[in-house]
Amino acid sequence: MKMRLTATHIILTVLAFVVVLIWLLPFYWAVSVSLRPPSMTFTCKGLCFPYLQFPPTLEHWKTELSSREMLRALLNSSIIAFTASFFTLVLGTPAAYALARFRFSPRLVVIFAFVFCAILAFTAASFGVDWRLALLAAFVIFLGFAMTLGNRFEKRLGNEDITLWFLSQRFLPPIVTVVPFLLIMSQFKLIDTRLALILVNITFNLPFAIVIMRQAFIDLPIELEEAAMVDGASFFGSFYRVALRLTAPVMAATLMIILAFCWNELLFALNLGTLKAKTIPALLAGSASTRGIQFWFVAVRALIALIPPTILALLAQRYIVRGLTFGAVKG
Amino acid sequence: MRWNSPLKYVFLLPTVIWVLCFTMFPLLYSLRLSFFRVNIGQKDIFIGLENFARAFKDPNVWNAAKVTLTFVLVGVSIQLVLGLLFALLFNRALPGRNVLRTIMTLPLFATPIGVGYMFITIFHEEGGFIRASLGAKIPWLSNPNWAMVSVILVDVWNWTPFVFIVLLAALQSIPEEYYEAARLESSSQWELFRYITFPILQPSIILVLILRMSEAFKVFDIPFSLTSGGPGIATETFSMLTFNTYRRFFDFGYGSALAYLLLIAVAIIVTSFFGRIRQAYT
Amino acid sequence: MRRIIGYLVLISLFFGWALAQENIKWGDDGSLTIITQDDHEEITIPADQVGTLFGPGEQPFAGQRIAITVNTGGPKGGISGPLHQLRPAWEQLTGAKLDIVEMPLPEQLPTTINDLRLGLNQFDGFIEGAWYMGEYITPGFIIPIDDYIADPRFPHWDPNWMPPSLRNIYTWENKFYATLNDSDGQVLYWRNDILSDPEWQAKYKEEVGSDMPFPVKTWDDVIAISKFFNGKNWDSNDPDPDSGVVLHFKVNAQGHFHFMTMSASYVVRPGDTVDRCTNNYWFDPATMEPLINQPGHVKALEKLQELAQYGPEAQAAWDLTEGWDYFMRGKAIFTFSWGDVGALVQDPTRSKIQGKLGASIVPGSTDVYNMCSNAWETLDEPNVVGNTVGGSWQGIISSRTPNPETVYSLYSLMATAPVHSWNTQRGWTGVDPGVSIDFLPPNGTATLEGYEAAGWNPDDVKFYTQAYYDNFYAKTMMPYIRINGTEEYWRALDQNLSEAMIGRMTPQEALDRTAEAWKGITERRGLDLQLKQYQEAIGYHP
Repeated sequence: MKMRLTATHIILTVLAFVVVLIWLLPFYWAVSVSLRPPSMTFTCKGLCFPYLQFPPTLEHWKTELSSREMLRALLNSSIIAFTASFFTLVLGTPAAYALARFRFSPRLVVIFAFVFCAILAFTAASFGVDWRLALLAAFVIFLGFAMTLGNRFEKRLGNEDITLWFLSQRFLPPIVTVVPFLLIMSQFKLIDTRLALILVNITFNLPFAIVIMRQAFIDLPIELEEAAMVDGASFFGSFYRVALRLTAPVMAATLMIILAFCWNELLFALNLGTLKAKTIPALLAGSASTRGIQFWFVAVRALIALIPPTILALLAQRYIVRGLTFGAVKG
Repeated sequence: MRWNSPLKYVFLLPTVIWVLCFTMFPLLYSLRLSFFRVNIGQKDIFIGLENFARAFKDPNVWNAAKVTLTFVLVGVSIQLVLGLLFALLFNRALPGRNVLRTIMTLPLFATPIGVGYMFITIFHEEGGFIRASLGAKIPWLSNPNWAMVSVILVDVWNWTPFVFIVLLAALQSIPEEYYEAARLESSSQWELFRYITFPILQPSIILVLILRMSEAFKVFDIPFSLTSGGPGIATETFSMLTFNTYRRFFDFGYGSALAYLLLIAVAIIVTSFFGRIRQAYT
Repeated sequence: MRRIIGYLVLISLFFGWALAQENIKWGDDGSLTIITQDDHEEITIPADQVGTLFGPGEQPFAGQRIAITVNTGGPKGGISGPLHQLRPAWEQLTGAKLDIVEMPLPEQLPTTINDLRLGLNQFDGFIEGAWYMGEYITPGFIIPIDDYIADPRFPHWDPNWMPPSLRNIYTWENKFYATLNDSDGQVLYWRNDILSDPEWQAKYKEEVGSDMPFPVKTWDDVIAISKFFNGKNWDSNDPDPDSGVVLHFKVNAQGHFHFMTMSASYVVRPGDTVDRCTNNYWFDPATMEPLINQPGHVKALEKLQELAQYGPEAQAAWDLTEGWDYFMRGKAIFTFSWGDVGALVQDPTRSKIQGKLGASIVPGSTDVYNMCSNAWETLDEPNVVGNTVGGSWQGIISSRTPNPETVYSLYSLMATAPVHSWNTQRGWTGVDPGVSIDFLPPNGTATLEGYEAAGWNPDDVKFYTQAYYDNFYAKTMMPYIRINGTEEYWRALDQNLSEAMIGRMTPQEALDRTAEAWKGITERRGLDLQLKQYQEAIGYHP
């Protein structure tokens, strides 16, 4: 594009800068609040620059960063986010590869039968039938059905449908599963453990990883893998040495985006992590106290929470559009 | 070629089983809870559709539905319009365009609950940024209508960049030749936009719309931290109401019923755009 | 990554170093000096109050680890602050470790109750609001502590320090469950320098046409004075006009306590008995019918709305701190709130009105609604009702903990006279006065010098301690409820009040809707159980 220095152009350029400044302002203001002495929190006029309008203090940062609870939350958040996003990819990438390269064609009727039997077993169990018995009975019914009647219907599903099914999990409002997770986790004595939060985060990010990695594999020319196989590589070998290597940048970006999602997760963190597994967002959620909000600490906590995902956003910059649209648009 | 190895099931099945166990089972469990009166430690009592009937009579539910719908419709529209305008604005020769674009993406991954608290210091009516620097005395958080405006504004700040970068990417994929060809026929700027840019952008706009709407329906973090649903219940969204019901009052049955109502609403939105989703992802 | 780990190691090293500091000192006479965490202040407990459990070189609970839940506030926040400040000293005294589990105010009860019901038992003790107690006691989740109080091994505090009104909410069926900590009740605060200024009184008479009704006796007096001062710049701290009153009404942030305090004098009829219309506020003790939408309550809410319009508009979204800070910046004549205000006013970093404070028990109303005859009664003297509204945040011990003694050793240390006074004299601790060791003679045993040494203005102290003495020893008290589901009842009330305060509902609508919600709650929790508990709670005998 050519640069033309017309009046409109200058005005529009200035406008663009103004927009960006407005978007940066909240960050700046939080920093400013975090450096102010408490009595200045709401009495500072103008843009309130440190040094010019008030003597900045690091007191609040020190207090927060030396609190045992804050350090533990930082550690928890890091462990949970790293482990969960790593295992999301470990589980999701092969599935994505399979959906990109192979054809799956399950019979529609079998799936209906499966769902029906699952509901049947569940209903029976919830009305007091022993759950092992219910499960067994449902399984027998399912097998019988699939082997007899199931063969009579030819309508089949394709890879696209399976992908969409995964994607639909992402649209699910997580609040629906909070209570069941709470009860299940308490059955397995997993409440307030990092493991519980890791499992939940993997579950909610799996669809994301599958959809986005599948697109990456589809974009990869299939000839490269076929050439490797002609050279004697096994199917697994070509996946490992060719496909994975070539999609490594997308994988890294996906990892970072999932990391940010895990770091920001609040709803389950509030419910499943109270003490030992409390994460940063859950810690932040407690900022309104018995005796009101202390804005100077809140600003510090909010900034501490914001910094890591913001850095991730910078690192994953090239793939951010692709990531947030689940691979539908390539930026 | 060997593109039909049984190994393919080894690749796919663990994930399918995982998702079945961790989403289908909880979904069924939650559906079951919604037909019961649940008191932990006591036996659950089957009450049929009573929880759902109660929801339709509960003024708080109607309020939450109204708040959520307003939030989704107004918020997402503003984001679409602003995002489109910004994309057009940035789709020209700008000094340092990439840096500016990068800065604009910062809010996207910012911890939403942190964002909410951060904005209290902006909106605070006695000494927040707007009062201190611009001098405008607006009841941002104490007036029910303004509180709604505040919540929407924060969401706009948070998510307009998403619309912006997606549409900017789409704009940049339009070959310059299209415009050059059109200019030969001396089209005005508006006509260029109307007949070339917009039709090419349209699929992306609809995609963004679906993604934003399905997310906005679940909104929880921002009103939770910014207004905690207040003043009164003027900004209590559906997710918050559900959360409060089961969490603060241990009413697991009723809470699950409410959650299911939300699930149905989101499902309606998503399925009504199903054709477009299918096209975008397969 | 390696670098991050490096930083983490550095931080934890710093932390370890901080922990290695001496946090206690033993005197030659056997007295114990505790050093607080952040400001390294020293609190000395005389030998006869220390108990026998602790001693130089002894660590009776070495190796144990306990977790105590408390509302979020951080190391310098209300109620949680004292735990943080005493933690290093207590850990060194006992050898045990203390986890402070902070939770948002509306989350603590549900989280702990879920934990107990599901049998996870992660916590050993809770610093709870008094209205939660029924929820813990009914299923047997907490233990009585009378034996511990009498046990000479533990640090010494005396239940007889408490006025009957407070004792009432620290006990259940005459057994102590909670250890002395906080004493909540709202009193009226005002700017004494302005109201007792003859110049302003003259101006008032000139403008209004009658004498300024000061000292105030009724809520109408408060309204009249607020109306006069609102919008005038009567305080020279800033050039903007100031307000008549400041309150806080943010939803889910204890705004409903203002309504309880104010409405009590319109509703709670004095008398020696307890029945539907005497010494009663919440429900009909014979049928559990909600009384919250009776004409007395409705009129009180109308009065509250009338009063609130003479305050800043923003207060509808304020929580307590924001309201208090407004008062302390010299922006309002009146507020009625907890003891924190009086203590915070003494803190020059947050307050500009030290030495200008007036305080008294809240005013009354000459009209009281009789809920038996369904008619208003007019009294000769205003009906003044004391209150214990608020949480009186108090330590209770889980019945599931393997280490109840460890927990109690912490609570009792916090309840000793020197630590308690240290807490009450500092505003940020959130611990408010209410027991005899906080009051000046002849009401109690505190000394003016003690307060002055903590930085108090002597005039403020006199007003303040007298106000709280009058409040907690008032002849008529507002009944406090702690039955199962109180949180749920109060939240419904809070939500509808908040709707009324922003004008989305009329007082009648808001309270009707509350009554409707209460009926539902009672029904879901079981009418018989709720009724029985309510009768016990207010001492009603059918």
